[in-house]
Amino acid sequence: MTELEPALRELRSTCREVAVDLRSRALAVDARPLEMAAHLDSETLTSLRTASTPRRFRDCDDSLFGASYTGSCLARVVANAELACGDAGILSANTGASLAGLAVDALGSDDQQERFYRAIADGRTWTFFAMTEEARGSDASAMQTRLDKDPGGGWRLNGAKRYVANAVRGGIGVVFARTGPSALTIRAALVQLPAAGFDAHLLDMIGLRGACISGLAFDGVRILPDELLGSHLPASRRGMWGAGRVFNVMRAQIAAQALGVGFAAWGYVREQRPGWSGLDLMSARLAAARALLYDVAATIDGSPGDRRSPSIAKLHVTDLAVQATRWAEYALGPGSLAEHPLLEKWCRDVFAFEFMDGTSNILRLNIAPVPARQGLAS
Amino acid sequence: MLDAIAECEKAGYADGLAAGLAQALTGVDVLCPPGPVAAVPAAAVPAGAAVIGHRLADLEGISLVRCADHEPARGLTALGARLGAVRLGITGLLIERAVEHLSGRTAGGEATIRKQLVAGTLADALTATESLRQRLLVAGHVAVAVTDLHDRLNAIDWEVAKLLGASGYLACGPARGAYVARLIANCWIAREAG
Repeated sequence: MTELEPALRELRSTCREVAVDLRSRALAVDARPLEMAAHLDSETLTSLRTASTPRRFRDCDDSLFGASYTGSCLARVVANAELACGDAGILSANTGASLAGLAVDALGSDDQQERFYRAIADGRTWTFFAMTEEARGSDASAMQTRLDKDPGGGWRLNGAKRYVANAVRGGIGVVFARTGPSALTIRAALVQLPAAGFDAHLLDMIGLRGACISGLAFDGVRILPDELLGSHLPASRRGMWGAGRVFNVMRAQIAAQALGVGFAAWGYVREQRPGWSGLDLMSARLAAARALLYDVAATIDGSPGDRRSPSIAKLHVTDLAVQATRWAEYALGPGSLAEHPLLEKWCRDVFAFEFMDGTSNILRLNIAPVPARQGLAS
Repeated sequence: MLDAIAECEKAGYADGLAAGLAQALTGVDVLCPPGPVAAVPAAAVPAGAAVIGHRLADLEGISLVRCADHEPARGLTALGARLGAVRLGITGLLIERAVEHLSGRTAGGEATIRKQLVAGTLADALTATESLRQRLLVAGHVAVAVTDLHDRLNAIDWEVAKLLGASGYLACGPARGAYVARLIANCWIAREAG
């Protein structure tokens, strides 16, 4: 079992404290996700942005969270579980590096990282990470969005993406596309907006509305040579290799957010029914899931290419979180969803984690033993 | 009773959730749910009733109505059974949409619907709905059986919605009806808290 070092215990404690502020904003963001002006300058969201920015790109260094928030996968997991217990929706509604930052950190050159983090330094810029396509889901190897050679130099981005958080209001992001038919030709492009040929529209989703999940279309968007991430890396490490490592951290982080929602539902029932004996089983299941997640995060820190461990964590925790919200619904009796709008919101939000970065069936394919030499899912 | 069950499932499947709920609520005092809130077709909201706004319920033509102090209506188990039938119709629609969605996709050069994990989920969902339909016919008067049926439907609907991928999370998609059906059941199914 992974024991947290003092710095991580302090991080967890800080996140628990600020989660209260996140929760106080949750229903407003769910109702009006495009109206973020009242929230972005709050100490909590400002500190979260600062903490998710590498130290060398920070304008100030007074984040509530110190340096440890993005220092390791374990730190990300510890923080995200506590923050999402406040509310996951507003976490996804914040400006800042987010998942695109993970990709830029993994695949970007120093200059590209500089460009990315300078672009978001104003605290008003959302980022986006565009991988999923309508007909292909999370099967990244089958993606159809193309980077076509531009006779004038560089590339032209053509195709479409779907289910991309915050793209409709994004300022800069990472878009995956292919320059040719093989897996090695899948590359990530840094796209800064506005850009001719780039179109984004908001998708109306059942929950996690703070994420402003969007659809994207690219019609000859110009990508300059220095906007293709990973060119400084060996050919085998430019595209999906980097994305795969990003996915592993992402999956653990998403599992942590799902766990946070599960704990939120459990804690809400505890508040409504103090002393109720029915709390114990779900409490034990959630605590065990947290221990599993901590172990997995520590494993990823030591072995970032391991796909099986984060798949196990995400598969188990996202399912448990859905069960926890149902359990809470039943525990609070008839009319509980209409009477407790936070709980009702969590019941909708918790579905989102299933669809992020690997559905349950994709994860099962990663987890199941396969004969030697046989490939794995994405 | 048996005719009412069949008619409610047909209404849910063919005419939608609001029509199905209207059918299920026939003869029930809609302001007397087991808890503090009733779910009713928007067209049937009593004048002056306090409506709790809900975006997805509104899109389905369903209103959530706050009910003042009241005694729960009689015959809630029978209502729960009729509502279960309506939900079977909605679940059936969801399964059909999932089959349609999966039939048009391929993964690794093979039709997605032929993948064992996918086929297994669909087979389980179809098996479960058949068994729940029979349960309504033989045990629709047993409160605990009806409550459990709704809990099962909550789980089945989620398993099927997952097969739609992220399109199963669109507010304009077929999973919306299943979610609002859960909200309705949450209002009308009597259960001891916990």
